[in-house]
Amino acid sequence: MTPRLVLALAALTIAKASLAEDLVVWHAYRAEEKAALETIAAQYNATHASKGVTIKTLAVPFDALADKISAAVPRGRGADIFIYAQDRLGGWIETGNVIEPLDFFLDKATRARYLPLTLQAMTYRGTVYGLPVNFKVIALIYNKKLVPAPPKTTTELVAIAKKLTSKASGRFGLAYSYADFYYHAALMNGFGGRVFEAGPKAVIDNPQNIQSMDLLLQWIYTDKILPAEPSTALVTALFNEEKTGMVFSGPWFLSEISKSIDYGIAPLPLIDEAGGKPMRPWVTVEGAFIAAPCKNKDAAYEFIKYLTDASSAKVMAIKGRQTPANKEVYSDPSVASNPVLKAFKSQVDVSVPMPNIAEMSMMWSPVTIAIGSIVKRGATPKEALATAQKALTADMANLRRK
Amino acid sequence: MSNDLASLPPIEAPSLRKRVASVGRYIAGIRADRASGRPGQRRWMHVAAHAFLLLMVAITLYPLLWVTTIAFSGSQSLAIVDLPEHATRWDRVRAVIPWPSTWSSQNFVSVLSDQPFGKWLFNSFLVSFGATILGLGIACSAAYAFSRLTFPGRRVGMLSFLVSQMFPGTLMMIPLYIVLVQWLNLGSSRLGLILAYATTSVPFSVWMLKGYFDTIPKDLEEAALIEGATTGQIFFRVILPLAKPALAVTALFSFMSAWNEFILAATFMNEEGMYTAPVGLRFFVGGFSQQWGYFAAGALITALPVTILFLFLQRYLVSGLTAGSVKG
Amino acid sequence: MSTGTAQRPVIRAIVGSLLAGALALGVAHALLGRAFENLATDTDDRSGIVALNALTAVVQSPQSSDDTLRRTVQGWQTRTSGITASRIVRIAGAELLASTAAHDSVEAEAPRRLERDEKPLFDMAQRLRSAVNLNRDEGAPRKNEIEVESLPKGGRSFSGPFVEDGEISGLVQVQSIDTAVPRRPSWWITLGLILMVVGCAVVPAFVFRRRSRVATWGAVGAGAIGLIAALTLHGSFATKALMEAQAQGDAAIAARARSQADAVSAVIPGDVATEDSLAPGAWDTDVYRRSRGRLTADATILPAPPMPSVFGKSLFLLFAFALVLLATTVLGGFHALGRALRDNRVAYAYILPAIVGMALLVYFPFVYGVVLSFTDSTLYNANQGVAETWIGLRNYADIIFDFNVFSHGDNGWVVNYSNFYWTLFFTIVWTITNVTIGVTVGLALALVLNIKNLWFKPLYRVVLILPWAVPNYITALVWKGMFHRQFGVINQVLEIFGRQPISWFDNPLSSFATALATNGWLSFPFMMVVSMGALQSIPEELYEAAEVDGASWRQRFFAITLPALRPALVPAIILSVIWTFNMFNVIYLVTGGEPSGATEILVTQAYKFAFERYRYGYAAAYSTIIFMILLVYGIFQNRVSRATEA
Repeated sequence: MTPRLVLALAALTIAKASLAEDLVVWHAYRAEEKAALETIAAQYNATHASKGVTIKTLAVPFDALADKISAAVPRGRGADIFIYAQDRLGGWIETGNVIEPLDFFLDKATRARYLPLTLQAMTYRGTVYGLPVNFKVIALIYNKKLVPAPPKTTTELVAIAKKLTSKASGRFGLAYSYADFYYHAALMNGFGGRVFEAGPKAVIDNPQNIQSMDLLLQWIYTDKILPAEPSTALVTALFNEEKTGMVFSGPWFLSEISKSIDYGIAPLPLIDEAGGKPMRPWVTVEGAFIAAPCKNKDAAYEFIKYLTDASSAKVMAIKGRQTPANKEVYSDPSVASNPVLKAFKSQVDVSVPMPNIAEMSMMWSPVTIAIGSIVKRGATPKEALATAQKALTADMANLRRK
Repeated sequence: MSNDLASLPPIEAPSLRKRVASVGRYIAGIRADRASGRPGQRRWMHVAAHAFLLLMVAITLYPLLWVTTIAFSGSQSLAIVDLPEHATRWDRVRAVIPWPSTWSSQNFVSVLSDQPFGKWLFNSFLVSFGATILGLGIACSAAYAFSRLTFPGRRVGMLSFLVSQMFPGTLMMIPLYIVLVQWLNLGSSRLGLILAYATTSVPFSVWMLKGYFDTIPKDLEEAALIEGATTGQIFFRVILPLAKPALAVTALFSFMSAWNEFILAATFMNEEGMYTAPVGLRFFVGGFSQQWGYFAAGALITALPVTILFLFLQRYLVSGLTAGSVKG
Repeated sequence: MSTGTAQRPVIRAIVGSLLAGALALGVAHALLGRAFENLATDTDDRSGIVALNALTAVVQSPQSSDDTLRRTVQGWQTRTSGITASRIVRIAGAELLASTAAHDSVEAEAPRRLERDEKPLFDMAQRLRSAVNLNRDEGAPRKNEIEVESLPKGGRSFSGPFVEDGEISGLVQVQSIDTAVPRRPSWWITLGLILMVVGCAVVPAFVFRRRSRVATWGAVGAGAIGLIAALTLHGSFATKALMEAQAQGDAAIAARARSQADAVSAVIPGDVATEDSLAPGAWDTDVYRRSRGRLTADATILPAPPMPSVFGKSLFLLFAFALVLLATTVLGGFHALGRALRDNRVAYAYILPAIVGMALLVYFPFVYGVVLSFTDSTLYNANQGVAETWIGLRNYADIIFDFNVFSHGDNGWVVNYSNFYWTLFFTIVWTITNVTIGVTVGLALALVLNIKNLWFKPLYRVVLILPWAVPNYITALVWKGMFHRQFGVINQVLEIFGRQPISWFDNPLSSFATALATNGWLSFPFMMVVSMGALQSIPEELYEAAEVDGASWRQRFFAITLPALRPALVPAIILSVIWTFNMFNVIYLVTGGEPSGATEILVTQAYKFAFERYRYGYAAAYSTIIFMILLVYGIFQNRVSRATEA
């Protein structure tokens, strides 16, 4: 019986050793956001020391994080937890062995503490795969000196912008990367447009999308309030040099603004051309996901639950200057009094989660080509979107071909 | 190529000592040359050369001055042309000159103090240096065999180095990960990166060195053989010193490709303390956030060591020892 | 001629045919063995799935309530052979409704909430639910609706969804022991056939042993005929044996289905017996819950479809390998190889480190990519093996035979920019122009910097390599910014000289020019450094001699400089063609493919197929075609310049 006893003892020690394991978190945060995450991890390590689990964080540049996850995690060499936006969710779930489903752990109270649409972004085919940490959404960011009161409707927007525009000297009332479909989506969703329907089926060429393109063309060519070839780098430069009064951009933009500029944030305007409906930008939600090969999923879940509770969300909001997905934190006085957080929070209430299906990644190329030729008037919105629709439908069919 | 060299007058087999003396003679020849010659023609040639070089220097520096402008502007946006309402020609000229409106070293300070950038530079140096030494060692030995020995599979072998460069690298990530991390267990180690970088630069190095070795006359080795030198001595004492320019080129190439590599370093390293400088740089731009001011400052800091390395290497790059030796 | 040399063809014929025969028939033997095992596994799977579908019918019958469920399941299991445990899980509330597992009946009796270590069971239930919904939405089977898993202690578990009130509400799982015993292929037949191959090859070798040439080729020819005959014979044995085994399997499944019909009627009162139990043949489904078409509704066996060959396409490949092995051995290939290795061991030792490094880090990924290119591996089936996704040359055919370069739109003919041939054309133009610029500028600078006694040479050199030294991620972006319609300096300069500004990214030609300018700027320093190094190999005396002979500047350049530069410059040019062909960054950062994807190059397309459209196999085929194009170029260029031969 002795060998068996030795084996049992060995098994016990191994079990103990694995209990004292580190849980590694991969993320793409930098500067304040990173500091906030590290603070939360340190707090957790201090208060949960008795459980024998230590959280370790690793920052990875955003451009490498997805590749790193795809290469390492399915082979059991990656992080136990990673933080990423929902746009890759569908792809990773279809790949398999990357993300652990969480429904089994999730109780009602936990579900209830998030902004509903952020949890929706973490849900793929009826199953929740991650806990939402922060959301990112675009809003109207304006120079208080040039625009004393932000516009509430598109009519007001155009009126203010026209006054500020002087094309010869390179001044524009409004600037945003309108040729980037992510930014355009705010107008598209506002008109009731969409890219996919259940199935999934591509519906890029629907009439609402065309209407939204028509309005954009009107802003560019009739009202002439937008600059040509608007890269994100150009938008930042224009805003910093006070050559534009208003931009549509998200929380990341705030760290790019020069210190000399006094800016304000307001929700995007209501679209008069769509009967006064609000512009509805896409929300990207950064979720904390448990890696499927993680050995201590219970502990990992405990941590991501802690990471997304109200007190951690407050650290994220105040120290990290992030917009947390936890809705309880917005009733906290120090958060509620913060104009930036308040503005993004009221924007997210009328927003749409960016689709998380795998087919989403196929959409960008054809749609970018379409919008590129539309804004340069190489094709009418109808023609260009029809071409994009054809291309996307073909790509989706090819993926399923046997 | 061999034909051109073969058409040279036959070289007597002098001793190495004599050869060194010949170098001295050669240099003396240059000095003499400088004194004599046709001054008028030479002066015009020099003026034209300077004009051409200055033009190229201007083209080279202009975009870099914009990078410098961004780095020293203290803000995060790219520079754009700034014109008043009714721009005159003079306004436009002023607008295209890269010059920050305010000078600030804030970006440099932030880059160096907010994260362990110094440590990352050091890592970059270690990895690039290791990859250069290893890659050069492997490549020299292979190139010597390809240049001096005949054996079955020589052509195919050379071609296979070329072939290795042909498959698009973007799709190689997963298999490379399987080999280095899963099989060799070299994840999150400098050695793994060194291996990966060394092998990526080997094909170029082998071809470059082989081509250069071919131009070194075989008579030199034969002379050394007669004097009783071993193969190893010939390789290290005769061939390598004569191939200094090619070694400098390949070393620079190996170092440079390792120095600027980003995606493998970010994927294989699992500790922030192990990252290299390009990984650190990419933190500033990615996803939505694009802090070009920090990036430009970091890029200039990163470029500095390579430039210094080149300052050091260029002596060897233009060391015309071969020319003297051939004269014999 | 001594007896020793006369015996050589005979010995080689014996060794070669033995090796080839052993390879061909050994593999054939192993394949047949695997086919038998697969058939046995398949029979066990079918048996388990019939039981699973029957139990699902029980669970879904209107008669069963949560209270009676456990007893019903228990009753069903006692009437069913080979089932060791059954579980019913409901997703809502993560509830274990019933379980006959030993652990659950003693310590943790159902119904109860699932415990944490039972999470996989819950996840599986959800997975099955979403699979059924997905297959319904897409109208095609894509994901398994029945999951089969091997259990650590032997046997297998089968899990499928069950429906309550028209919705998938949970999972039914049965665990079974494996019962089917695979047949073993006969070693005697295999050995006999190997001997037959050896006999075929040895006879001509022995008869003509005095005429070595005839003996050798005779052995190869006769050995090949022997191989064909042996493989054909083996194939016909195999087919017959497999047909028998399959018929046995069908019979077992039919019996299983009928006994399950009895079991189901026994646990559910006869008057509510569902349609299912009246049609037990329908329980014989695949993992997508589609009928296998082997049984009728009342479980009578349908006539067997024609047996597909065990080996299929691999048979030809197997024959080819064996023949190569035979020919190489008989013709003395291995002997020669061994001698070459011995004779040139010094040379091989010199190149060994380089070859080992390349083999691991370059050739393995390369082979991986090429294999992938013959599959239709996509996001949805990347986990399946190569054999299941093998589609031969279809990806290549799809790429190469798509001639839809021009299409007729409303505004006349337009170029279809995503077509392979347009992209190829553009890539070639891109490569030629870039390398030309890089080489010309680099070489010119190197030549100028080689002028004797020129002032400030070290300074010029350092400044001129800066584009190579500064990370190109930012310099490329600065270049892009310089070409901006309104805020870029290039257009400002045009306006200073009274020209109209240009929208650089609006048409393919000017957009191409922006990328070309950027890449030219980025790549000339490399060529300059290479040329500077190469220039050092030219003996000064050659120039002096030429000058004495009165050669002009032009003559000296073409007669001395250029030929002398060739050995170092040609490799650099070949490699820079290859690199530029696959230059991903500059296009991506500067033009981003604008306008309308006109300035994409092949490698950016391959990238998009892999990472945006998730078609890994297709992208690999694209990459392999890129590789083939470059290979043809490399061999051609190499031959023209004889760069490998100094």
